Order: sequence, then structure tokens, then C-alpha cells
Amino acid sequence: MKEHPQILLKNIGHDDQHTLAGYESRGGYSVIRQVLETDPLKVIDEVKTSGLRGRGGAGFPTGVKWSFVPRDSGKPVYLINNADESEPGTFKDRLLMEKDPHLPIEGMMIAAWALQANWACIYIRGEYAYPYMRTVEAVKECYEKGYLGKNIFGSGFDLDIVVHRGAGAYICGEETGLLNSLEGKKGQPRLKPPFPAVVGVYGCPTVVNNTETLAALVPILEQGGAWYASMGTEKSTGTKLFSASGHIEKPGVYEIELGTPMRQFLEEQCGGIRSGHELKAIIPGGSSVPILRADEIDSISMDYESIQEAGSYLGSGGFIAMDETTDMVEAVLNLMHFYTHESCGQCTPCREGGHWIEKIFGRIARGEGVPGDLELIDNLADQIGGHTICAFGDAIAMPATSFIKKFPDEFRARITEALKGTFQNNKSTASELGA
Amino acid sequence: MMSIKGSEAKLVTITVDDNEIQVPEGMNLIEAVSKSKIEIPHYCYHPHLSVAGNCRMCQIEIEGRPKLEIACNMTAQEGLKIRTHATSEAVKNAQASTLEFILINHPLDCTVCDQAGHCKLQDYHFQYNARPSRFVENKVNKAKAKPLGPTVVLDGERCIMCTRCIRFCDEVTETSELGMVNRGDKSEITVNEGRKLDNPLSGCVVDLCPVGALTHRNWRFNTRIWFTKAVDSVCPGCSTGCNARVYSRDKNVVQVKSRRNDEVNKDWLCDEGRYGFDRFLPEERVIEPRVGSESSSWEEALTGATSLKGKKCVVFLSPDLHVEEYEVLKRFVEQVAPESHIAVSYRERSLSKLEAILMSPDSAPNIFGAEFAKLISDAPGDAYESALRGLNDGAYDAALLVGDRAILTEDLNDAVLGKLSHLENSVGIFCDSNTDLQRACKVVLPGRSVLEKAGMFINRGRRLQYCERAVEFPQGSKQAWRILNELSEKLGKKITTATDDRALTNWYLEEEGRLAGLSIRKVKAGGVDLTQYQPATTNETETGVQPRS
Repeated sequence: MKEHPQILLKNIGHDDQHTLAGYESRGGYSVIRQVLETDPLKVIDEVKTSGLRGRGGAGFPTGVKWSFVPRDSGKPVYLINNADESEPGTFKDRLLMEKDPHLPIEGMMIAAWALQANWACIYIRGEYAYPYMRTVEAVKECYEKGYLGKNIFGSGFDLDIVVHRGAGAYICGEETGLLNSLEGKKGQPRLKPPFPAVVGVYGCPTVVNNTETLAALVPILEQGGAWYASMGTEKSTGTKLFSASGHIEKPGVYEIELGTPMRQFLEEQCGGIRSGHELKAIIPGGSSVPILRADEIDSISMDYESIQEAGSYLGSGGFIAMDETTDMVEAVLNLMHFYTHESCGQCTPCREGGHWIEKIFGRIARGEGVPGDLELIDNLADQIGGHTICAFGDAIAMPATSFIKKFPDEFRARITEALKGTFQNNKSTASELGA
Repeated sequence: MMSIKGSEAKLVTITVDDNEIQVPEGMNLIEAVSKSKIEIPHYCYHPHLSVAGNCRMCQIEIEGRPKLEIACNMTAQEGLKIRTHATSEAVKNAQASTLEFILINHPLDCTVCDQAGHCKLQDYHFQYNARPSRFVENKVNKAKAKPLGPTVVLDGERCIMCTRCIRFCDEVTETSELGMVNRGDKSEITVNEGRKLDNPLSGCVVDLCPVGALTHRNWRFNTRIWFTKAVDSVCPGCSTGCNARVYSRDKNVVQVKSRRNDEVNKDWLCDEGRYGFDRFLPEERVIEPRVGSESSSWEEALTGATSLKGKKCVVFLSPDLHVEEYEVLKRFVEQVAPESHIAVSYRERSLSKLEAILMSPDSAPNIFGAEFAKLISDAPGDAYESALRGLNDGAYDAALLVGDRAILTEDLNDAVLGKLSHLENSVGIFCDSNTDLQRACKVVLPGRSVLEKAGMFINRGRRLQYCERAVEFPQGSKQAWRILNELSEKLGKKITTATDDRALTNWYLEEEGRLAGLSIRKVKAGGVDLTQYQPATTNETETGVQPRS
């Protein structure tokens, strides 16, 4: 079994790691002390060197994102820790916040210094009660010790961190939806451009980074960007947390070096498919990315490029495995139900089209499908994905089309069975429908 | 060339469907492309509201970009190459799909919908989709006939969630009464908790609504729009001179919409003006001339009115007569009773901050027309107040009153009415028969209200604007200018040869040197800013009428 460097999860086994004392006893808050003596631009360069990519799903290089922030706009720069982890099948940030909440906070301090932001916010998913409590406690401890507030660590740099709890909408994890929500508005994504790096929360330049991304800054600034870049592949550097769930022997959060073969990850970390069953399909990066069939995964490794080449995305690292007992019609209906429920309702294709697709899948699942339904879904999904303000349209379109494309026989069989029933009841209807 | 934010923007060349056009740099692409005679269809975009980008109707193809983009969130930049539905299959498909999506949960109750016939959903469906829906599922049900406030009612199912109404209340009135609740296809427009939509511009949200979701409570189910006659008019409520489109059926105003004029009212109308557009159309009309207490023929009444000749007359005028009429009146007085004192009723009123967004602090739509005609000078109300004092002091031996608002109702106290009725000679041209003013006059002639004739107003910004006749006039009534023209003919000499409103306007435009070079057509196109207008010299006017080669 391959040993993976544990740079984010190395301390989560300790019972007192969530306390400031525990965190500091294992070297916590030593990196930020050094960073505060470094030129902020050098910090950004170090992060660029590391090749760290956003862990929230889009995989955009973090250092590059930071460099979009105008440095002389005359406005304050804000930093947001996006802990609104809501993608079905994704629960990695939760683990960090529950077991090692000071790690992302130290990461925020590093990012805030690099961006010269004096105000930062942790936006936590509403349902994450325990991570919220742990985070609030951690922030409180920091304030008590003078690690937050005025003149942190005696550096002359001020940093305030506010912990904000979401109200349970998936779309508030979309960075501009988050900004609106934070401002007290309805959580609806904003039109881009302008991008948050230029016009963000309260109209000021804002950087929104995922919790895992921020946590990864601590080891990067400790051991250097080059060290981080030496792990993983050329374009997918370092390690990444994967939330493994589904029909596997050992569900959980695993930190692996990017570029690990998918099959190896499945067998070694996840313990393989539950005994007596065999793999049918995998959703590799959270439920919004296209599904992969079992026969497709052998050539794939767990990095951004390889998965994209195979027609899916690494996304947030929500690794969902399904065995042969999974009914694909029911599974996609479940996903569609989630996504249409979470559609913010702002733009037409997603608001109307998403529900339409869900209704058609519902009909097929109930045995009321008709020929042409699958083509219709495909056509509708094509007009939703890429036609909306945010990427949510794609989150509806990608599962809908990929489930049909990868498992066409299951959907066709459901429709044919339905027609047999119709045929028995009404011969003419069935023939009209071309059965 | 349009100016952007006060400065003349530089022109850039953009290519729309292989045709190059020149537009100001930075102009919104929907506006810019409209210059090429191609309309980019849109629902949520409005030139005077922020860009929402939610309807997805304005998608276009841009060279070098992988996905379709929305035109409303883009501006004209040099070298931009775009394709619209005219040449792009992808755009065509996207627009047809957007319409199909919008329509799946739309009730399609066009047969009973007030918007039918002037509905963007109907129009665009035929223009950009026109195929049967593939939707066979159940539609979503939402609130029907839900009052949002005293003026506006919402049909949630017809709503396409363009959020123009919300943005109007957030950005123009800054009252934020409206919001969006729920998510996905359950999303609904609603009044925010504990609020109601009752700001002084609330009716604008109905104009903004591209479909039949928002309707006027007072005008619902009045009539189908295709049975109405629509004319371009100017609101007679105050001196802002908001441009309006007036829909009438028979003799009634059945709906009023704002008409876009970025220099005057942008695209707004206040509720007082909109819902009270016909408030100057009295219910009880003066239908025939009267001399003393007896009905009379026109001939007798005009003869009775000749008694004004040579008298020291007080002339009270409504502030809603057209500029042409003021000119006729001025000449009439000069010709018939030069000793007279002319006054146009005018009094300022105070406005709330919200009212002041659009309204002027008066109820005098053409007070600046009277100023232009040199009937009044100095402060607009001075002549009026001194005429009232003069009347009380018995300074005049006759009175001529033109229009129902010749003396404001608030000034019609017993003293004023007593003085008026004791004058030996008093002539009034009125519409409303149920007024003390009418009853106080010796000779009364049936006139026409401001909506029953065409002519020009000058607003507070000194913009000359044309109003078409909005409603049918009652038989037997005549315009004030016509009555005065006939009267002066009787006393010697006609003032004008015009026989109808249009001819009068043309006569006035020819006679008035400060307006040389203007035509009704030119005035109608957005009005003419008189502070900037350079009258054409005689030569230019002559060239203007030469036949085109």
C-alpha cells in the first residue's frame, strides 16, 4: 500500500487538536509568525510556486486568483473562507473544522497578510452546527490570546475574523451567491464580470477561498511552494482531501497525493466495493460532475487533468462509488430532486428547465416514460448548461446527460416496460408512440 | 449621437451579423445593436435599471468566446464581432429554448389576460419560437390576483421573474417594497413583510412588467387593448411634462403607459398623473352656450361676449392651455381689450422626497408655455395673485375666464365668486358644468378639455412637446382658441385662418420666430429643448421646403 503524505490531516487524530493549546503544542501558529515578517508579494509568489489550485471545485490556481486583486483601489480588501460545503458527497471541510479548526484559521491569517486584508469572514454552511461551534470557539480563543484583532502576534497587522452561519441554501456556496448572502440579500449568484476580486462584498475587492485551500497554505508556507509542487502531478500539485462515500468498505475523508490511480484509491483507501458486490459507477468529484462507468476508471488517476480527460471533473473531491444494486433511474432522480430544489430561481433555463428535467425523470421512474423522453432531456440539458449566470446550470445538466449517456439501456428498459403496460391497456396508444 | 454620462463618447466600430456599425464606445450592447435595426429580444434588461441578466433572452454569439453571452451585460468595444438570431443557429436555439422554458409554467390564459395584444411573451413567441411546447407535465401553481398595494395586483403564475419591478423599487424609488421569495420554479415576487407597494410611482412597475403579471387594479378587465385607440400625449398633471401613451375607448381613458423620453421622465410616470390622467375630464359637461340663465345659440352667446370689447378686463387662464392657445389669447386681448390684466392660475405646492423624483411642485402643465407666449413674466404665480387681489378690489369691469382651472378651486371663496357674479360682463369657456366658477359667469361657452385637443406644452425644463388628442370631444364643444378666433372675427379681424388643431400648430410654428424651422414631426420626436434650440434663419427655412432632388 502506497504511503501518502499527510499534510492536512496529520494532526486530526489528537483529541485536543481543536484547542488552541493542542494546536500550538504541535507547531501551530508558528508559520504565521514567520509569514508576518515576509513581504506579502513574496507570499503570493510562494503560493503561485506551489501550484495550489482551489479545492472548492473549480480548481483555479489560488495564487493567480489573489493576483487579480487590485492593490491600490483605495478600498479595503476582504477575505472569505468559503466553508459552505454543500455538494452532495463532499464532507472534507467539515472534518477540518471539527478536528483541526485552527489550521484553516492560520491559513486565513496567511491569506489575509498576503492580500493585506484586515477583515475576514468564515461563511459556514447552516447545517454544520458542530463545525460552527468548533470554529467559533477557535476564533474566540485566538481573540483571547491576541492572535486576532489589533496588532496580531505583535506584528502591527490587524485582522478581524467573523464567523457567519449560512441559512441552508446550496447556492450560497457559489462565491457570488455567498457574497449576496453575506450582505443580507437573497443568496443569488451575481453576474460576472465584474469578478469578486474587483467588486466583491460591499463593492470591495474580495477573495473567496475554500476552507481546504486555506488550510493548505500553512504547510506550503512552512515548507515552501517548491516542496508542495514536488508532490502530485505537473498541473495538479500537492495532496487533496477526498470524501469517499457510497458502496465502499471504508467511507471517510482521505488525503492522497494527486495523481494516484483511481483504482488504487478505491482499493487501498476506500477498502474496495463492499464485499459480495461489484463496482458499477463512480462520481469522482461531487454529485454535480458527470458519472463514470466502472470500465472507464482503470486508466484514470486522481488529478484534475486525468479526470477531465475522461469526461468528468475532480470538482470538490466528493468520491461516490455505486455498486451493481444501484438503480440509475432512481439515482439520477435523487440528484435532480436535489439540484432543482436548490436552484436559486434567478435565470430562466435553470429555474424552469431544471424542474422540467426532474419531472421527466420522475415520470420515467414511475413507469410513465415515453419514447423521446431521453432525447428531450438531452436537448433541455444542452440548453441549460452554459446558459446561466453561474455554473449551477451545468450542475443540473451534467448529471442528467451523463447518467443517460453512460447507462442508456437502463433508462430505455424503464420506458419500454412502461409502454408494455400501456400496450396492454391501450393498443392504439402504444403503436402511436412507436413502441 | 447619444451622449453617455454627459460626455460625447468616442465612436467604435462593431460588427453585427457581418454588418459594421458605428456606435458610442461603452454603450450597452442591446442599445448599440438596435442602431443596426436588429432588435435583440430581452425581458429583464431596461435602460434605466441595473443589469440583472436573468431572463437569458438576449443571448448572442461573440467571436472568440466559447459560449453564448448575454448582450445586456456587455458594452460596445472596438472590433467586437457579434452574431444575433439573424445569422446564428446557436442563438436562435437558445432564444427558442428560453421562450419554451418561460412558457412551461405560464398559464397561457391570454384569452382573459389584460396584457394580450401588448405582451412581450406573445410577441417574442411568434418572433423567436413559434413552435408547440414539448411540455406535458403539471404546471406549478402560484398566487393569483394578489394585491401588492392600492394600485397594483400580481398574478404570480404569469410572472417570468425578470425582477424589473423589484429593481425599480430598489433603485428608482429606493423604497424596496418588493422582493423575491422561495427558490427554483417556486420563486415568487411578493411585497416584503409588513409592507405594501404604495409609493408615488407604484404604477410604473406595471409598465415595466413585460407580461401580464402586474396589472393596474383600477384598469383590470377594462377592455382588450386592440379595441383601444392609442395616442402619444404629455401628462397634464404638472410642469414636468412626462411623456405618456394614452389608450382610450369611446370617450374614456382606459389605460395610460409611460413613453420613454430620457430627457424628461426616463420611462416613468407618477401615480397621480397616470391614474388621474382623465381627472380634468369632467363628468357633467357644459354642452351648449348660455347667456344669463338661458341656454342660447352660439351666435347669441358670441354676440353676448362681444361686450368685452374695450373693457378693462381680467383674464384668468387655465395653466393647461396649449402654447398656441396662449398665443391666440394674447393676440385676442391685444386686439379686443388691450387694457386687460392677464393671469394664469398657478400656485406651488410642496412635494415629498419620493414625489419629487418625478413631479414638479405645481399643477400647471403649461405654465412655461404661458411664459414663452409672454403672457406672464417674473415669478409664475405673481400675475395670478395680483389679479385675484384686483378682482377683490373691484379693479376690473369685465372678466374672461378660459378653462375649468382658470381660478383654482381653493381660491373660489364667497368674496371672489360674489365679485365675479356682480361684474356686468363675464365670459367663460368651460367644460365642467358643475362648478361655482361656471355658474358665476354671465356668458358661458362650451370648451374642450386638455385631453380633447392637440397642441404643444412647454415643460419646466423648457422643452417643447407635442400632445395628440387623447379622447373624443363632445359634440357642440369648441376649442378655446377657436371660440376666441370667431369672437375676434365678429369684432373685426380673424386671428388665424386655422380650422383645426393641427393647422393651428402649423400656423403657430410659422408665426413664431423663436420656433422657426420646427415642424410637428420634429417636435413629436422627443420634444425640443428650447434652451438649446437655434431657430432656423429665413434662408434655411426656405431650403427646407424645397423639393428633394
